[in-house]
Amino acid sequence: MAAASKTSAGLFSTGHTVLRLVAGLAAIAVAWQASVLLFGIRPYYLPKLSVVLDAIASTPAAYAASVARTAAETLLGYVTGAAFGVLLGSVFFHHKVLKDTLFPMFVVSQTIPVIAFGAVVVLWFGNTLFAKAVMAFYLTFFPVTVNTLLGLQSVDPAQEALMKSFGAPHRQLFWKLQFPNALPQIFVALRLATSLSLVGAMVGEWFGDTTGLGVLLLQATYNENVVGIWAALLVASALGTLFYASVAGIERKVVFWRAEQ
Amino acid sequence: MLQKERPSATAGDPAKPILELRNVNKTFGSVAALHDFRASVALGEFVTVVGPSGCGKSTLFNIVAGLEEPDTGGILRFESRSVHASDLLGRVSFMPQRDLLFSWRTVIDNAILALEVEGVPRKKARAEALGLLPEFGLSGFADHYPHQLSGGMRQRVALMRTFLFKRELMLLDEPFGALDALTRAMMQRWLLDVWQKNRRTILFITHDVDEAIFLGDRVLVMTARPGGVKLEQRVDLPRPRSPDIVTSPAFIEIKRALLAAIEEESMKSFAAANFREYAQ
Repeated sequence: MAAASKTSAGLFSTGHTVLRLVAGLAAIAVAWQASVLLFGIRPYYLPKLSVVLDAIASTPAAYAASVARTAAETLLGYVTGAAFGVLLGSVFFHHKVLKDTLFPMFVVSQTIPVIAFGAVVVLWFGNTLFAKAVMAFYLTFFPVTVNTLLGLQSVDPAQEALMKSFGAPHRQLFWKLQFPNALPQIFVALRLATSLSLVGAMVGEWFGDTTGLGVLLLQATYNENVVGIWAALLVASALGTLFYASVAGIERKVVFWRAEQ
Repeated sequence: MLQKERPSATAGDPAKPILELRNVNKTFGSVAALHDFRASVALGEFVTVVGPSGCGKSTLFNIVAGLEEPDTGGILRFESRSVHASDLLGRVSFMPQRDLLFSWRTVIDNAILALEVEGVPRKKARAEALGLLPEFGLSGFADHYPHQLSGGMRQRVALMRTFLFKRELMLLDEPFGALDALTRAMMQRWLLDVWQKNRRTILFITHDVDEAIFLGDRVLVMTARPGGVKLEQRVDLPRPRSPDIVTSPAFIEIKRALLAAIEEESMKSFAAANFREYAQ
């Protein structure tokens, strides 16, 4: 009974959230369009939303191709970065010496601005999709590593003692207790990394490419195509939001116990 | 199955101790938690341990569970063999104070945790646990998660997890400490019932004197820190014990003796605490 009512409450609140989201978006759209008309804002500063949407609708193929390209770069870097981060965090957790020697270096690596790094990456990997994925990877793996390590370390010592009293070897201690216990913390980093990896991919495109949202943004800036800038911005934020929401959705499924505690 | 039936009012056979501790000490830095602790627990016996707070009860349990090694020089014997504490890992069924349920596991999967660690296939372990649910008052809750359960139910899941880890000796550390009085009384009767059916050796920590007498064949009263055995009291009340036994003269007499011993120790630790404060 309790479970049933909880589930329906959950569904209801999910529906509610979507409704609120749509209402919020609509409100922003109306405010955008209305303020441009009401206050007579010059298109140079802020074009009308309708004009921006028109621009996207008139060349849908270009935007679709850019989204596909940028999404591919982001996703490739994100997935490999997340996997590497979880692996690295786990290795650090098990080998303290390795952690103490390598971890400071990873911290230093993160202080290198991604822009400076971008030039080198393009030199190494050329003007490829892979080069941009490397940028996304670089921004993703670090927070995931840190949170994996933190999550693994946050186990309740009493639960660990319980597992040991059952005679559990290290492998089981990890897979049955430490790793599942770390998942909520890992997902915090995975959510954060969605926007970071998108930034990485788009900045990577600035070092030379022909398709992609970063390219659209750069071209529009060079041509002082204000509508183009806003259109690229709008599409990029839609992609970022969708990406974030997907990961948050997976999070709710995987670490279901967290929200209900 | 007949030999498994427990003749009522008979304590375990003292000639066959499953656990023996002699001259067991444990110090943490400059603090002595246990000093010259000695006790022996017979096969099938239900022994309860009471004592003032901070008397080293939990240290005692951690040693018997294999989680902590006592200082060298003491004697620790299990199933008639001299052992290190760490040898006891995986050989004693240990239930800590808190339920420690894994929030990502359902009731049934929490219950079979120890079986899984032992390598029993999940399917088989689940089938076994499902059969036990009614006895633990958890019928219909197999697929619930811990956050959907009441405190009493969570404690029963933890007990079920302990019971499914089939070891002759069970250590229960204040399993009902966090429950309200009514639920606690119910759980005590239920535990005796389950124990009489399953016949295991139980070492049970509590700070509730009534609970210690009601459940135990024998009560050990611990001294203030460093913990040792102050008093060993047999409880010759007939089994099965009904709830109103707590008002019988025999019960009251035992309780009086225990309370006097505990009172004396509590005063000692109270005085020691006061003295330390004064000295600072």
